[in-house]
Amino acid sequence: MPVVLRSANTYWLLVLPFLAAVAFLYLAPIANILWLSFTDPQPGLGNYAKLATSDSLARIVWTTLRICLLTTVISVFLGYALAYAIVHALAREQRWMLTLVLISFWISVLVRTFSWLMLLGHNGVVNNALQATGLTDAPIAFMRNELGVLIGMVQYMIPYAVLPLLTNMQGLDRRVLDASRSLGASNRQTFLRIFLPLSMPGIFAASLLVFIISLGFYVTPAILGGGKVLMVAEYISVQILVTLRWGTAAMLATLMLAGVLVLLALMNRFMKLGALFGGGGR
Amino acid sequence: MRDQQFLREAVYQAAHDFKSGRLDRRSFLVLCGMAGVAGMSVASGDAHAAANEIVLWNWGGTSEVCHGKAIGEPFTAATGMPLRFDTSGPLQGKIKEMVDSGNVTADVCDADAFDAIALGRSGHLEAIDYSVVDKSKVIDGFAWDHGVSIIFYGYAFMYDTQAYGSNPPNSWADFFDTAKFPGKRSLYKWANGAIEGALLADGVAKANLYPCDVPRAIAKIKSIKDDSIYWGSGSEAHSMIVNGEVSMGMIWQNRGKNLEADTNGRYKLVMNEALAMPGAYLVPRGNPAGRENVMKFIRTAQDIGPQLTLLDCLGMTPTNPEAFAQIPAEQQDYAITSAKNIANVVFNDPVWWADHGGDAVNAYLEAIS
Repeated sequence: MPVVLRSANTYWLLVLPFLAAVAFLYLAPIANILWLSFTDPQPGLGNYAKLATSDSLARIVWTTLRICLLTTVISVFLGYALAYAIVHALAREQRWMLTLVLISFWISVLVRTFSWLMLLGHNGVVNNALQATGLTDAPIAFMRNELGVLIGMVQYMIPYAVLPLLTNMQGLDRRVLDASRSLGASNRQTFLRIFLPLSMPGIFAASLLVFIISLGFYVTPAILGGGKVLMVAEYISVQILVTLRWGTAAMLATLMLAGVLVLLALMNRFMKLGALFGGGGR
Repeated sequence: MRDQQFLREAVYQAAHDFKSGRLDRRSFLVLCGMAGVAGMSVASGDAHAAANEIVLWNWGGTSEVCHGKAIGEPFTAATGMPLRFDTSGPLQGKIKEMVDSGNVTADVCDADAFDAIALGRSGHLEAIDYSVVDKSKVIDGFAWDHGVSIIFYGYAFMYDTQAYGSNPPNSWADFFDTAKFPGKRSLYKWANGAIEGALLADGVAKANLYPCDVPRAIAKIKSIKDDSIYWGSGSEAHSMIVNGEVSMGMIWQNRGKNLEADTNGRYKLVMNEALAMPGAYLVPRGNPAGRENVMKFIRTAQDIGPQLTLLDCLGMTPTNPEAFAQIPAEQQDYAITSAKNIANVVFNDPVWWADHGGDAVNAYLEAIS
């Protein structure tokens, strides 16, 4: 027993400097920023009251939530199909498919955003082709609106949806599926009653991941939205850099952080978060 | 604790003196040793380098090359101090943060005049020393306590000659008239210039523009919202026009010449009622090269030669009245203070923007999103 105790302590000693560094360099500044939301420009809850009194703030928060939810649903749906296809492909094809997913994962968000403009923009490849073939006589407004933001965000988020789903699907016990088929279930029944329920933790993990990352989107809505789709992250940056309303910015940042923590806590009530992300679940 | 505080302040002061050349290296290091600040050795290396150069914080791109050629070369020739650049863009919030954190790395910022007024008021800037900087080399009313206008840039608009061939738009009223001039518009995303343009379009006389009636401007902007898209950077504004996304596009005037060339003359710049924005040089408080050195730099930038080189290289218009008459013929169409345009442009009031800019930007963002 004492030996175990000592070794546990030694491990802690190894980790401690890094924990201290994180606390000092990361948590302290965050706490400082959060503190601003109660003290700037005047001490009190004035910044939070704006949420109730200012239609524009409420609308920006609502726009953000709506776009993030839509992005999450579409990305997880498409990611699910992709992960399903990868899991059921031959080993060789599987590697190729995964490589393709990962390559898109590694390309910078800025490059991808501008690529969308070149593809689907006013004078983009798709619009030019549509007009050249006579299918349309005017360019379709894919970009510079909410649709453009959704397209850009979904494409960016699909790999984030695929990876947890893939982990989950690869971990499923195939014998259960075989058993279902051998008992006379059709493919459809096997999918709906066995595969889908078993992959629910993957869906939750993917949704959570995609939703949380979506909340922080900045470049994509700013460019593809044509200035008309204002999300919280961009609004925060304007309040800090241009209008110097740091209290408002800190309030929104606090709100986002709290929202994410509440989400995580909620999820943790229903399932072990560690298990979701491939940990031991304890 | 109080002793430590005192020592730290003493070292900061010494570092400041050392950087500006008032304290020699040895005394500085002795002081650091006394204060027991090992970490300062790093800062001292930094300071040593910083004492002999001016760092200009600007917006990158060709402005780096142009400022180097126009102001850096004559300044270095005269003083022996090189000019270095930080091209990450001196937004008001960033300057404030830099000064508040006590880690000032820039000597002079190429910012907006309203930034100079707002940050000067909040104590984040060094005062301009008008015994060195020459007030007579700035057009009247564009030299302030904490900033001095070196160039003008402007908001103008371009239109598609193919869309409005025989009856081209010529004013902000035309820009906002989607019935007479159908087609998409692009406007600046951070309200600047768009507020003024909307008010002029709504019939406000030039002389009565300030103080701006923001609600009235917002109503006008909302009236063309469905026909508008908004840009946040010069390159975005540029691509919206080059790609034909808009029939009329608000644009920084200095880009007009290139855009006319890039579109083979299809898009034409309208300088009538262009909004002349004073760009200002401002000096963050506690700048590393010291106040005296940076004032010499600003004085260099006021000379006719550098002003005309900046015009030629960047399209940024002189603020030194002596330079106005020397604006070359091929720049007359695009320069705000050229004889051809100066009577038709509208000069921005940076004091109004310093006071109300934050609220105006937020109201505008709310209206367009």
